[in-house]
Amino acid sequence: MNSIIGQKVKRIDGYEKVTGKAVYGDDLKFPGMLHAAVRYADIPAGKITRLETDAAANIPGVKAIALHSDIPGSDKVGPIRQDYLPIVKDEVFFTGDVLAVVAAETKEIAYQATEAIQVTYEEFEPVCNLEEAVKPESRLVHPEYKSNIMVHYPLIKGDIRKGFSESDKVIERTYRTGYQEHTYIEPESVTAVPDPSTNGFKIYGSIQNPYTTRKVVAIFMGLKLNQVNVIQSTLGGSFGGKDDIVSNMACRAAILVYKTEKPVKLTYTRENSMRESYKRHPYIMKYKAGFTKTGKLKAMQINILAECGAYSSQTFFVTWRSVVQATGPYQIENVQTDIKGVYTNKPYTAAFRGFGSPQIIFAQESLMDEIAQICGISPIEIRKINGYKQGSITASGQVLDQHKVSLQQVMQKAAHKANFTPKYKQFQAKNKKTSRYKLGIGLACSFRGCSLGAEGTDASSAIVSVQADGSVILLSGVTENGQGLRTTLSQIAAEILGIDLNQITFLQPQTSTINDGGPTVASRGTIVGGNATIKAANEIKKRIFSVIKDELKVHKLEQTVWQNGNIFNKQDKKLSINFNQAAEKAYFAGINLSAYGWFKAPEVSWEEETGQGIAYFTYVYGCQIVEVKLDTFTGKISVEKITAAHDVGKVINRLGAEGQVYGGTTQGMGYGVMEDFDVQRGIVKSDNVDQYLIPTIKDIKEIQPVLVENPDKYGPFGAKSIGEPTLELTAAATNNAYCMASGQRSYRIPLTLEQVKLGKNLKKPVRQSEASHSGKKLHPRLSNIKTITPVNLAEALRLIHKQKFQPLAGGTDVIVQARKSNKTIKLMHISKIEELEKIEFSETGCKIGAAVTFSQILENKKLQKHFPLLIKACSLIGSTQIRNRATIGGNIVNAAPCADSVPPLIAYGAKLKLQSAQNTREMLLADFIKGSYNTQLLPDELLTHIIVPKLPHPGYFYSYFQLGRRQAVNITRMSVSVLVHLNESGIVDDCRVVDGSLFKKPQRIKAVEEVLLKQKLSKDIIAAVEQPLSQKIEDEIGGRWSAEYKKPVFIDICQDALNDIWQQARKK
Amino acid sequence: MIALKFTVNQQDIEITVPDSMRLLDILREELNLTGTKEGCGIGECGACTVIMDGAAVNSCLILAEQCQGSRVETVENLEKDKILSQLQEAFLENGAVQCGFCTPGMLMSAKALLAQNPHPSLEEIKTALEGNLCRCTGYVPIIESVQKAAEKLGKDAK
Repeated sequence: MNSIIGQKVKRIDGYEKVTGKAVYGDDLKFPGMLHAAVRYADIPAGKITRLETDAAANIPGVKAIALHSDIPGSDKVGPIRQDYLPIVKDEVFFTGDVLAVVAAETKEIAYQATEAIQVTYEEFEPVCNLEEAVKPESRLVHPEYKSNIMVHYPLIKGDIRKGFSESDKVIERTYRTGYQEHTYIEPESVTAVPDPSTNGFKIYGSIQNPYTTRKVVAIFMGLKLNQVNVIQSTLGGSFGGKDDIVSNMACRAAILVYKTEKPVKLTYTRENSMRESYKRHPYIMKYKAGFTKTGKLKAMQINILAECGAYSSQTFFVTWRSVVQATGPYQIENVQTDIKGVYTNKPYTAAFRGFGSPQIIFAQESLMDEIAQICGISPIEIRKINGYKQGSITASGQVLDQHKVSLQQVMQKAAHKANFTPKYKQFQAKNKKTSRYKLGIGLACSFRGCSLGAEGTDASSAIVSVQADGSVILLSGVTENGQGLRTTLSQIAAEILGIDLNQITFLQPQTSTINDGGPTVASRGTIVGGNATIKAANEIKKRIFSVIKDELKVHKLEQTVWQNGNIFNKQDKKLSINFNQAAEKAYFAGINLSAYGWFKAPEVSWEEETGQGIAYFTYVYGCQIVEVKLDTFTGKISVEKITAAHDVGKVINRLGAEGQVYGGTTQGMGYGVMEDFDVQRGIVKSDNVDQYLIPTIKDIKEIQPVLVENPDKYGPFGAKSIGEPTLELTAAATNNAYCMASGQRSYRIPLTLEQVKLGKNLKKPVRQSEASHSGKKLHPRLSNIKTITPVNLAEALRLIHKQKFQPLAGGTDVIVQARKSNKTIKLMHISKIEELEKIEFSETGCKIGAAVTFSQILENKKLQKHFPLLIKACSLIGSTQIRNRATIGGNIVNAAPCADSVPPLIAYGAKLKLQSAQNTREMLLADFIKGSYNTQLLPDELLTHIIVPKLPHPGYFYSYFQLGRRQAVNITRMSVSVLVHLNESGIVDDCRVVDGSLFKKPQRIKAVEEVLLKQKLSKDIIAAVEQPLSQKIEDEIGGRWSAEYKKPVFIDICQDALNDIWQQARKK
Repeated sequence: MIALKFTVNQQDIEITVPDSMRLLDILREELNLTGTKEGCGIGECGACTVIMDGAAVNSCLILAEQCQGSRVETVENLEKDKILSQLQEAFLENGAVQCGFCTPGMLMSAKALLAQNPHPSLEEIKTALEGNLCRCTGYVPIIESVQKAAEKLGKDAK
């Protein structure tokens, strides 16, 4: 039989996931279960002067409100420093703080109750700036700790002064990274259930580290560990993110169970999750490097500030990994690194796949490319000169001789696979010839310590239990988080026992059935969980062997082979016994067929004062190469290809390992170019996934995994780590590719449109009045809707004549907006009114019913033929699901500045038919829209039809460009729509240019049209547009915060659209 | 309250629900069809995608009133007589499932696509799935799965 190790193996928990049968946290239901909701702080910093819960408690259906004073155990929790209060006392430290938690009969009642809790504060000026927070004069976020610097790790190797003096050149650079939000697709959910048998609780839910959650709940509730049994539900993504926050939620659910004696479920909305959950640490990194003319590094001094936000959480561990790896995989004789974790009144930061490495890799790999450039050598050469080799010594003084140091190997493999060097030259040559789009290729390398290292106790557990019929139950102290660990560990057990994978059941572990296997973090699941599994399985083998050795005529286990469900005599394969029979035999012989595997990682060490020691027992090496296309007009970067070479030691499940590469690089790419978590004055602005953008399927082009195998003596079958290494390199390589394309260095990620175009991350400034959450609906949801459906148009008009109804067609805008409204919303459902559902054509043009969906528009052959500009714009609206529901009438009446159908309709000169019970009127769309979300529609009127007149002649040219922050499902940043007609002599006799999302409402830009009319298109005439357009933009929006970006970009994209028309005309 | 009549997975449903209820809530809470997931509540992530009258839609953006008389199909309808559909098989074979939370929505978007367009191009697959966010897989195995399922379905049809 072929070994199952290294094969492509279907995940063993796949069936329940493709059928919808897998049970995730929010899918759980218990008899009598109550629903919980949290009352958040309204402000980021201040004393609570009054907290009034009477009104909330009096709402029928409210069963309990838990406050700080109700906490039976310790009020403060935290992995190292206990500074986190799952329910705060009398002060708030960020807007995700919870003041009270409510249990009620329904979710809706619980939400209402939280909103009825009245709070007054004595506000403090929030500490929001990392560099200010470290100054002695800064207000202390937590005065009891005497400093905003909550941790400082130094590292000293050699003598940097000597190193710098021996250098030919010394450069200093500062790098900055932002928050990154995990954005697991499943928001957090926890259910606590009373357990009379222990006088404690069972806790279920989206829990990454059940043992941590158990410990935190026990401390908070004043219980023993054996009174809290934590059972992980199927986890809908975690990436490090469902650790502390879920433990804190479990505390809140548990205290409500304590008060009500009923099961309590606490499920978060996405907005709750974005507000409260911890993120990746923003870093400010100052690197000073000394090197010789030939590129040999002599000294490096690194100063890092890591923003830990309101609470310390995992910052101790995250920053420790950074201090170990901050120089990157480069041997440098003289190093001094200082990293400080700093409190602010912003969302706190903790574990996120990568764990303190993506930030420093971005810095150090940018630095390496820049040094290469200064020395006139290639990015590969600089890394060859300085990169770790067998026996190299790390910054912490660890000699790398206990594993294969494969940095050069992975780099060479990646470069070969990606065709790095030839492409680098090709792109350079191509870029000289192109103006708008530039190509770039960049690489990044890393080394990464496997598992926890000297940051903590590193041991893990497994139970292999063979049943009398030979079927096997496997339990592990590390958990399935979606990454495929169940499959990997089952493969390992199957391989050792020589049985089929199907014979093994991986049991969802409970903390009360198997001992603490440590957290499932640090890419340690396979390496430590696998080793524990091997130990348990080998123990089972020994025990079974004792009852079959006579039959097989052997004396030692080594004389047997376990394969294909049989156990053979190695020398004489005819002597064999079926595994199941052997199990049965052992069972009847009274042999214990349940074995416990315990793996303790090899010894490591750390010297706190100097930062010297054996930081990790082994390391992995990776190299990623990214190709980008840069739109220099807009600053938009599209990642075209990622080649990811990773030494994994040994592949266990190829499907799983490649899956880690695809997923990790995609998250890393998002981190590099678009994921921009916006917090202004402590208020989370990116409160859902329409504001915080992660990559869509269209943002992914080609990803090439290159898995390199150098089996490690400490790894199960030689396997090491893959989860985190895949993410940590991509942003750095993307930035290097971007820098190559643009010809200039960049020192900050994410590379948003504004960052690329202006060198700064332009943000909408918050007004003082906006700088708190008070007055807004705390939990966006649909709660106050009344709907009615008229049978026909006449009835609809009668209804709105009598009382105020808001029309509901597709609902894709109305419902989203209704979630945020406090008022009762009366909706009249009009999407099935026949008169509004038709597209009709006549001699003069086309009449589109207001309730026609965008999908219907896109499918219509006649619209495609006669109004291609409209079709093009509509094809880019939202997603397929949105286009299947959203209507053209809704898009117009909503009048969002980014409404994509409006600019082309204005270009076509569309008119609207507006009807009321008494009156029918027509109006130009251009006049109908007064401004942002503001139209001429009267309260008793319905938009019934959009009349699009035929263009006066055939043969119009059109051009459309939509700019969004990613490749699909965008809120349009800006668009330009152009229709041009040329007469027989090539003179422009009609020209319509319309903006989208630029001016206060979309409009024909006469300043541009007038330049072109009665002219032949030419380079000069298109250039002549610039000045009047620039003036017009300056006049209209010059003072707006976004003008700095929008003005130059719109001029460019407008001229480019005109160029496009000119080129089309020339081809004809 | 709304007296609602519609079909879910070929079953006639008659149910009275509050006006504020969304199709997603009706499925999960009233009909116990918890395969359909909520990820964002604003139609941006696609985890709640179901097929309504043949089209992929976000069930978090459909009010009870809008369901009247419709035909709804959810992930629970894909497996027939304990046999997985080609799409489900392909998702498993090609590693398109990790945490699995986006999977029901992905499958429904893919199913709606293949029903209308049995031989989609790469770009058409991406367009059909652009409204379904996945944070685990990097989408590559999902695209492969839809391509392979389309091939297989094509062969089976012959």
